Amino acid sequence: MKLSTYNFLTSMAIKGVKVGFPLKLTINKKEVVETEFNPTFVERLLPKLDWSAIYGAAQVNPSDMRQKMSFQAELTEDIPAVQPENIGENEALLQKLHHLLFEIDVLEGQLECPETGRVFPITDGIPNMLLNEDEV
Amino acid sequence: METPHIDHLSLEDYEHVYEPAEDSFLLLDALEKDLDYLDELQPRLCVELGSGSGVIITALAKRLASSSLCLATDINPKACDATRRTAARNGARVSAIRCNLADALRRRSVDVLLFNPPYVVTSDEELQTQKFDSQSKSATEGNLVFSWAGGQDGRRVTDILLKQLDDILSPRGVLYLLLLRENKPEEIIKYLEGLKFKAVKFMERRIPGEYLYILKVTRCSS
Repeated sequence: MKLSTYNFLTSMAIKGVKVGFPLKLTINKKEVVETEFNPTFVERLLPKLDWSAIYGAAQVNPSDMRQKMSFQAELTEDIPAVQPENIGENEALLQKLHHLLFEIDVLEGQLECPETGRVFPITDGIPNMLLNEDEV
Repeated sequence: METPHIDHLSLEDYEHVYEPAEDSFLLLDALEKDLDYLDELQPRLCVELGSGSGVIITALAKRLASSSLCLATDINPKACDATRRTAARNGARVSAIRCNLADALRRRSVDVLLFNPPYVVTSDEELQTQKFDSQSKSATEGNLVFSWAGGQDGRRVTDILLKQLDDILSPRGVLYLLLLRENKPEEIIKYLEGLKFKAVKFMERRIPGEYLYILKVTRCSS
């Protein structure tokens, strides 16, 4: 699961849940796949994305210590808590966002509903958001 | 638009996942025919519901590679996996999510929505007595039935989606929906008008034993 995908996921379909967003993300295993950086695309996509979930994703620490070191060094400091203005002129930040949103692939982990605590596992890179009949 | 390679999918995959057929190719042809419109629309988020093999969203993802985010959902984990593999085989960026329709997606976020629903007319019992079973070993046992069995008028799943459409599509969003004549497309067009959507028969095609349509649906205000 790419972190760009994470930005669109909600647990709102659970009965009684109001917003269900952002989901609490836990990363147990991730891989980084380099892809071509397209600053225009990142900038154009931003209005569609929720900044608090982008910021939140950048703060997540993989549970594995070795991955933790590299991940922290990479991102926690780089993504500001509030979306800066004129982001299109800040190519360095767009590059960081590109890396965060499109190059990090969460292979194992989980998403948790912020209101009910319902856990959705991520296995082989695919989040399982399917609900049981009695949950909807 | 290139037709994606599917040589990585085996007969064993098709035991669990719908094999691309004439209906899939009609939906691909409809997208190809509407590429000027899609280029103009500049969609940021494209989503296919019930992506199965993933052939359709992969073709679109390749075409829109540098300008759109492409996601696919399916209730069947084997379909999610097949979609992921089809995207990888074709060098496309598609993320698969296991969920029912667009249940897990933020409201009104989807710019291009694709759906080739289970459209075959069956008894409702055929749908209801089936329970999706992740442990199911063979097609005849059950999971594949969800890829085609549509219940009364072949509309059970389609009708659920249409009810949710206002919550799924972005303000400029468009839906391409595959239908069978027995699904009563005129009735669906009327129903959507009542919900303030404009629906047109965008393409149609006779294939052996079936007459298929692609409905193109947009908001009246857009």
